[in-house]
Amino acid sequence: MYGGGSIIDNIKTTAIEDEDPVQLKAFETKIERGEKVEPRDWMPSLYRKQLIRMIEQHAHSEIIGALPEGTWITRAPGFKRKLALIAKVQDEVGHAQLLYSAAETLGKSREQMLDDLVNGKSKYSNIFNYPAFTWADSCVITWLVDAGAIVNQLANARGSYGPYCRALDRICAEESFHLKFGHHCVIYLATGTSIQRKMIQEALNRWWKPLMHFFGPPDKVSVHSELLMKWKVKMASNDEMRNQFLDMYVPKILELGLEIPDAELSKDENTGVWNYADPDWDEFFEVINGNGPCNKERLDVRRMAEERGRWVRKALRDSEMQYVTPLA
Amino acid sequence: MKSLDPRVNRLPSDDSSVAKPKEPLDQLATFEVFLKKSEKRLMEHVGIVHGADEEIAFLFAKEQFSRRYTCIEMWIVKSSNTFATGYTEADVSVYDSIKHIDGVANEEYCIFHLLRRGKQHVFAGTVEAESVEHALSKAKKSLGDTQVFNIWVVKSSDLHKWSQKELWETLPDKGFRDALAYRAGDKLKDYLNERKNG
Repeated sequence: MYGGGSIIDNIKTTAIEDEDPVQLKAFETKIERGEKVEPRDWMPSLYRKQLIRMIEQHAHSEIIGALPEGTWITRAPGFKRKLALIAKVQDEVGHAQLLYSAAETLGKSREQMLDDLVNGKSKYSNIFNYPAFTWADSCVITWLVDAGAIVNQLANARGSYGPYCRALDRICAEESFHLKFGHHCVIYLATGTSIQRKMIQEALNRWWKPLMHFFGPPDKVSVHSELLMKWKVKMASNDEMRNQFLDMYVPKILELGLEIPDAELSKDENTGVWNYADPDWDEFFEVINGNGPCNKERLDVRRMAEERGRWVRKALRDSEMQYVTPLA
Repeated sequence: MKSLDPRVNRLPSDDSSVAKPKEPLDQLATFEVFLKKSEKRLMEHVGIVHGADEEIAFLFAKEQFSRRYTCIEMWIVKSSNTFATGYTEADVSVYDSIKHIDGVANEEYCIFHLLRRGKQHVFAGTVEAESVEHALSKAKKSLGDTQVFNIWVVKSSDLHKWSQKELWETLPDKGFRDALAYRAGDKLKDYLNERKNG
């Protein structure tokens, strides 16, 4: 997990004119050759800014994403599933550590990033502002939200910034565990009793809309930046990733005899493009702006963890301690 | 706070809606982590952790980098004790610009090479020298015949090493955290057959 391809803000291309044209040319040639950019290389300030924002949002999504799933740790059905879910949630928190480190190499401190999260200044993936009512919700998250994240992360792992790509390689390897575990859980519910089937169908109904939102607004309305594509910050458009997700997972969902709550969902076999009903983009923007069902709870829990851990971190500090921007 | 999560419901009530800004070093110091996956592999850099000292950094690093995939050895060094050269590109090696320096061989230094841009630094070897610059100059002689894009130099005495392999032996029960314990293909196949046969 996690991190949808969604919330890239409008960028002002004017800043680019202030860059040194010679260095900019060398930078772009390097990316064109397929070489990675490393922390100490010259880079345009816009590139740095967008990457920090993107990696930071991704990191926040990982720790906030651990909350809806963590809801079901205490009540996971069976000891083995409980172990698997604990391990999965721990993975997600670990992913946040990897991503914060990658963002730190660009010059933003971890303290600042965590401050910006709890004070609502920086965003995280919208999907975690929805509640997990039953165990089946947790299964849908583990299977399909992680599946969506893998689509997004595999694309970004081919990007241009070395530390982010290396973090994503590690993350994707662990996500594949989650995907298998999630599929297992969904299969057990879908092939179980009528009550279990009903549970998983209802969970799918609840999560379908947020899943469609996960990759961000359609290309025609989202702020599309050729520059970010050229610099390999963003590797695929929102619609491309959503289409790939539908291609891979719609058949797997239907094979389980589950229904997808969208009567208009169909694939145009000639173009390979999926058509789907409008998943209510107004709701998407409402939730981003802080008005989703769980926005407040998620940030309150995070803020409380910050406050309650403060004395421990303070006690650990010593006078010889020194912060150095991570090297790679 | 009223939540679907029983753990959240157990939290004490809290009325602060704005967290105090973090102070510098609230997230402690940074450490570089290296690990060796198996006897056949070189020691390689895997990333960083934040920690109060090497012991805590090791605990975090062990969770972070060897939880899902094991290893046989791990090294930790403060980022502030790691000297890094500049990066080079194309067919320029960092060693090309390193000049010869004379000195006394009184301390051991570890040399790490970045052999491909975009990959991670790997352990190249050790040299005896009196300073980082001297160590680089000696490394050029003994290790400098390969193309290297970046070099890290660390005093061996600054490295904290954990090489007891049993540290990474896990209980059989822990297998249940892995995907291999969750095969459901047969169940799915039975279900599909059942549906096909009505």
